[in-house]
This record gives sequence, structure tokens and C-alpha cells, in this order.
Amino acid sequence: MTVLVPITYKGGVYRHDIVIDLIDDLGGYIVQKHMIAQEVVLQSLVPKDDIELIRKISRPLAGEVTEAPLVGTEIAVVSPSLEIHHLPHTSCDVAEYLRSAGAKTNMIGLARGFGKRIANLNIEERDIINEHDCAVFMLGNFETCIEYKLPTLRRGINVPIILTGRPSTEALQRITDPPVDGYVGGIGRIAHRMNQQEGEIDHLDTLVLEVSAVISRKREEVAKDSLSINPARLMAVLDDAMEITTRSTHPAPIVVQIRALRVKLPYDDYADSIAAIEIENGVKIGDITQILPSRMRDYILIRIRPFSETKIMV
Amino acid sequence: MKGLEYFEVECIEPVGAEIYKKIADDILRDLNLNQSIGRLHIYIDPETPLFLAVGVIKQMPGLVHIHDFASALGTEEGVVLDIGAETYLSPMLSVLWDTYGRDIITQPDRFTVKIMVPGLNPREIEEMVVVDPSEGMFHDIIYALQWIAPEGFKIRREIIGEEYFSYVASENTLDEEEIDELLKEKFAYVGVTL
Repeated sequence: MTVLVPITYKGGVYRHDIVIDLIDDLGGYIVQKHMIAQEVVLQSLVPKDDIELIRKISRPLAGEVTEAPLVGTEIAVVSPSLEIHHLPHTSCDVAEYLRSAGAKTNMIGLARGFGKRIANLNIEERDIINEHDCAVFMLGNFETCIEYKLPTLRRGINVPIILTGRPSTEALQRITDPPVDGYVGGIGRIAHRMNQQEGEIDHLDTLVLEVSAVISRKREEVAKDSLSINPARLMAVLDDAMEITTRSTHPAPIVVQIRALRVKLPYDDYADSIAAIEIENGVKIGDITQILPSRMRDYILIRIRPFSETKIMV
Repeated sequence: MKGLEYFEVECIEPVGAEIYKKIADDILRDLNLNQSIGRLHIYIDPETPLFLAVGVIKQMPGLVHIHDFASALGTEEGVVLDIGAETYLSPMLSVLWDTYGRDIITQPDRFTVKIMVPGLNPREIEEMVVVDPSEGMFHDIIYALQWIAPEGFKIRREIIGEEYFSYVASENTLDEEEIDELLKEKFAYVGVTL
């Protein structure tokens, strides 16, 4: 089986369909396509051996191919609230930086995540965070507060957590019990945009590395019991059958996760027709996935079942 | 911070103190308050938790009258105002509209406003107060402190006077006497004796 690696292609609109066709012909998948004015950004998964070929073909089009470790993941950036204290600085900087590494980020502002004793996580927030591949918790500047409130905020969360806060990484590790999956110190509450390399952007780079490490651990875990279908392929099949990307007004109508897809269509109206779509040789989407209502609006969450359960691999 | 004679953040966690100094600096600068506040001492106790700020107001801006930016001339029709600077034009029009009514006030061009009331004394018009900048400043200082303080500290006590201010906030109820004692102690840092 070919190994697919995540890349980002950036280039002009002019003749970019050549690149799209190429990725398609090589057996890769385009997870997300952004058209921003004259520029096209393609988040894709492509066969590892063919990256050089894509580089070569896109060179005359002034295209740029970079490895983007977080393509094909959906990450929750959890902020204690959406008030002026926590937004826009830090939370937006982090979300934007993760997005530039290829991730689809959702910012989740908790209703009552602020304060120390009064910090809380409600059931809806917990369920929404659990629908992501991992969650980046953006906490504040004081060790005492982080130590006190983290157990409350992480209650019931079963996706990997990456904890960020102003205290050093070592301090965060010391105060977290039981440990979480990743720690990045030096990113706390500030009241200005992160624009200095030292002490600001450096920490964002560390965060991307930390999130990538957590994601690759999760990918390895999934690889131990392979999924019945690659999520990117499932996206392509679904999109071919229902033309969601061309007909929807959402910027990302289908979001690819490590072992799931989020489809931004109403569950009640579309769940049955999605389940009935045939992938190949009579195998239907409903046979190898669980189609669930998402806690995010009325969207659909398609969880792909592993090979050990379905005994089907397409 | 530039503009402040004294500015300290006191906290048992040095990392937190350092970053809160930066936060306060950014916010005061955003709200243009660094010229108005002379001395500022912030005390943070993450254990309780408690956020306390005491400070001295350096200069209180005076009331703005019409004669500060316009001159009035009496005519047969009424009073003609010749506007020198447009900064306060909008609040001035609001005050005039409220006093005389919209249809009595005309503005033939950008720098001229006419009050069509015969026999009006132009000196009286010039003495009218248009804006009280201190009102906005009190509001801005409290807003700045709410913004600097960690979110969720809803139990708070604030004092703002002509010369000094204090802001105490927490998420727990606090003993009043203890707070008075603490305020007295912290006010000493900024040179105020209660």
C-alpha cells in the first residue's frame, strides 16, 4: 500500500487544474481547496514517492509544495472564554498557526471556562471537543490556577490534550496529574499580537511540533488496526456521489479527520442517503462506518470502523 | 512603562508578574491612559485568588467649553458659531440640539453653526459645557482594570476619586477589613495615605 503524506500546494489560479489532475492521477486526495483572490491553496495527501514529480510539474506554474504535517486533522483550540481577555490574541494566533501547518482548527470558547474555582466545562462542550482529533487547551499565566482548574476542564475529554500556558513546559508537566499528551510553555494570556520571533513565534513553532508528535502517535495507533477505508478516499467517494463541495457554501463542507469525517449537511435529511452510497463492489458507506449526528449544529459525523470489526477493506 | 513614574506588579509567581506587567502596559497604551495615570501598583495573589490595583491619577483633563474651540458672534437672526477645531463638533451639536431643538440649529458649512434664536447672548453660548473628559476617563480606567484583571473575578470593589483609584476583584467573597488593610498597605507604594 502506498504511503500518503500530507502536503500543501500554494500557487496561482492559472492552470492549477493541472496540479489537481496530477494529484488525482497519482492516487492522492485533495482534502481542502482554498481560492484566495489569485492564489490557490491545496491541502492534499499524496504518495510519498511522487512529491518530487509534483514539485517538478508545478515549477513552471510558480507553485510551491511544502510538507504540512497536520493536513487531514481537525483540531479544537479551546479558549476559556470568548471575551476580550482571551481573544483575539493568543487563541487566534495559535489557531492561525496551526492552520498554516495544514490543520482544520475550530476555536471553542467555553461558556464558563474562566476563573479558578468557578471554571467549568459543560456536556455540550465536552462532546464537541471529543469529536476532534486532539484539543489544544489555552490556559493562562499562573501555575496555581492551571493546576487547580485543569482537572475540571479535562473531565470526560478522551481525545489527546495539548496543554499550553505561560509557565515553562517543565512547570506545566510538574503540575499536571495525570499527565496529558503534550505541553507547550510560554504561550499564555497576552494583550498584543504575537510578532516577535524570540519568545513568541518560537513557542508557536514548538506547538506545531508538539501537536504533530501527538497526531503521529495517534496515527500509529490507528495503523495498528487499519481503518476499513482511508478517510480522504471516503471524502472523495462521498463528494463524487453527492457533489457536496461544489454545491455547499461552507468553506470546508467535508472535514477529514484521522478516523472520521465531518459532513456539513443536516443529519436528518441526509444520513440515510449517505449510508446507501456504494464505494465499490457492493460495499456501501453504511457497511463500514457509523453515521452519527454531530454535536456541532446539525452536522453529520461519519466514524470509520476498523478492519477488525468490518472485515472489509476498500 | 513610559509615562508612569512608578509601575510594579507584585506576585508570588515571577513569570505571572512579568507577563501581567506587559498586559497592563499594552492595555493602558491601547486606551491612551499611560499619560493620565502617574503611579500604579498591581498585586496579584493566585492562591486566594485576588487581583488588586491601586494608582494615582496624574492629570485630570478639564471641562471642554464651546469657547475652547469656537467663537460666537451675535447677529439679528441669532448666534453664529465659527468652529476652530472639529474635534468636539459632534458633541456640541448634540448639546445644542437638546437645548434648542434640531430645526433651530443650522450648519451652512463645515465650520459654521447657526443658532436661529434672536436676542441670544453669544457669551452665554460660549460658556456652555460640551464634554467632561474626566467622565470618560473614569470609565476608561475602570474598563482598563477590568480588562487587565483575570476574567471571572466578578466580585469587585472599586474606588475612583479625583486623585487616586483602587480596584479589587476576586471570584470569592473577601473579608472587608482585610481588604481595607491590604489597600492601605498597597496605597503606600504609590504614595497615598488613606
